[in-house]
Amino acid sequence: MNLHAAPQSTTWRMLLIGLCALILCSCRGPIQSRHGEHALPVPYDNQTLPPEAFAGPMADHVATDPPVGPRGGPPGMEQGVPLAYMPAGPWAPPGMSQPWPPDEYLRDGGDRGLPAEVSEQWEVLGLELEDTIAHYDTVEGERVVEPSNRVHIYSPRFGAVRQVVSLRANEQRRRTAGIHSPMTLVGPTTVQVVADSKQNIQAERQIGTKSAVDFRTRQGDGVLSSRVGVWGFQQDLFMPYENVRVIRQGVLEGAEMAWLARGHTAAVAWTHEQAVQIILDQRAAMAETAHESIESVYTLKRPPASPRLRVIKVASTGAAGPGEEVSFTIRFDNVGNQVIGNVTIIDNLTTRLQYVDGSAQCSLDAEFSTQTNEGDSLAVRCEVADPLEPGEGGILRFRCIVR
Amino acid sequence: MVHKLRCPTPEELLTGRRVVRTITMVTLLCLETVFAAVAQEPGVHYWHQGVMPPGAIGGRQLQRGGPLHGFFQPVQIKAPTGALVSLAESGSFEEPQKAPRRVGMLIGQVYRIRVMGIPRNPGMEVFPTIEIIDRLYTPRDQMDRFAIPVELTLADLELALQGKFVTRVIYLEDPANALPVPDDPGAQDWFEAAPGQDPLAVADALGRPVAILRLGGRLPDHAARPNEHFLYGCPPVVKYPRRAAAPAPIPSVPSPAVAEDRRP
Repeated sequence: MNLHAAPQSTTWRMLLIGLCALILCSCRGPIQSRHGEHALPVPYDNQTLPPEAFAGPMADHVATDPPVGPRGGPPGMEQGVPLAYMPAGPWAPPGMSQPWPPDEYLRDGGDRGLPAEVSEQWEVLGLELEDTIAHYDTVEGERVVEPSNRVHIYSPRFGAVRQVVSLRANEQRRRTAGIHSPMTLVGPTTVQVVADSKQNIQAERQIGTKSAVDFRTRQGDGVLSSRVGVWGFQQDLFMPYENVRVIRQGVLEGAEMAWLARGHTAAVAWTHEQAVQIILDQRAAMAETAHESIESVYTLKRPPASPRLRVIKVASTGAAGPGEEVSFTIRFDNVGNQVIGNVTIIDNLTTRLQYVDGSAQCSLDAEFSTQTNEGDSLAVRCEVADPLEPGEGGILRFRCIVR
Repeated sequence: MVHKLRCPTPEELLTGRRVVRTITMVTLLCLETVFAAVAQEPGVHYWHQGVMPPGAIGGRQLQRGGPLHGFFQPVQIKAPTGALVSLAESGSFEEPQKAPRRVGMLIGQVYRIRVMGIPRNPGMEVFPTIEIIDRLYTPRDQMDRFAIPVELTLADLELALQGKFVTRVIYLEDPANALPVPDDPGAQDWFEAAPGQDPLAVADALGRPVAILRLGGRLPDHAARPNEHFLYGCPPVVKYPRRAAAPAPIPSVPSPAVAEDRRP
């Protein structure tokens, strides 16, 4: 029996050792470069670039001959100096919304986070940094909050973290070897065990994806006013970046959607066809007229009251560095079918936008005020004095300095 | 007595006690290895540490994918007034030029530069390294306006001359947590990492690290002809032309403006 047990034991022992070695060797390690002599830093791989990505005298050869090895240049430049990789259009990881990455852009407008509300005491709740809202009162006494679209401005800002380390190779510390202390024990030593301890756990940084802000609007049966202008402003003229019909006249054109999308507005549904429609028996709801044989009876059913305020916001530039000035224009229109009052527009500026004092102007009679917000910036408040009839609107403009 | 040798059948091998014990030992060994690896993971895991050698962090960044490979990130190198900066090219340093300088650097490569004419330290030289570990996704029409600022302050240069090793991690500030202070274009805001803290981890908590500047520590054997390892292989660099003087500030009421009756 022992004669059979010996080879089995050896075989299984070898198998066990081999399996353990396989497990220990299966740990993931950094991927080594194909160029062994240049492990760090990872050398630049020219073979993955298109032929037109090179310049210099070797560019012609690259287009026809595949690289076969070093030709005299430093590692990574055997075919010449590579040009910059320029993708067509802004790049974003799959599934990420533009603009990306969000840490390079300043945002202003919309109503992110908790929806803003106005209490009975005229206290605005849920207004966070970057929010721009307008609230008004309807004829029925309801208080409605309408957010604007969101504006994106490319403005990266940098900081640095420094650490200074000094070398102490030539220093030597000598410690005391021992201490003679003839002290007698006078009492027992009590060791207090730590009952609890604090562990500082830092929050993991996470880049979130914020989807585009929905823009809800509807052009009711009111007639949009084309008489809204910038009368009363300093120059009584429209700015170059305001030269769109939706700002000048309140009329949204399909041809300007692309400009507005590029012009830092994220509105996606401003047309009448994309708004909520009322269909009864496959027919659109409309005024009903009845005709009787003996006498004529005309019944006019007015559509239900639909107060609506459209708020569109644009910026003068899409990119601004620290210290530069950015102008914001807000166009607001009563696109509902009844008069609205107490129209108030609030822009809670983000931390990096500093309001230029006294720069706010409005085409209507309005009162301006500012209040310091939690980001040590200002919340600009514009209260329109007179009620807005259906189809009426106005333009608000102010300036900020990028911090 | 003659012993007959016979081979054990597969059933005897699989049902033996020794096989069961062996499988149990292997299973316990695997579990122990996995649990030991999990237990060594810190509560907050960062991919890299600031003490890693130059090029290691950028090289790892390239392996993570994305449009980083082959992209020349614009970088603006600033230095004290009067200081001269020269880049390494073709195995030696170029002619020194006045700062600031705008260059395009590859991500993941290490660039050795030479700083001369340091104020209050005539004749002294410092050889810092710059490593770009991430890029900006600037709109194409704004590529010449925005660059990663790498500042060589006089204090850092003097610390390097005193034998200190200075590490500066430049990060892109998160606008959601930005400080409400105006940005001084002449001096970059910076924090001092506490002793024992990883500057890369601190920068990662404040924003997105994009570059690492290291000063001090090494000097070339021959300043005129340093060896290739000291220059990290002289990776390619794109030199942008020096920008013209800043234009006059935009007036508060810009012009020309568009007349209202220009469009129907």
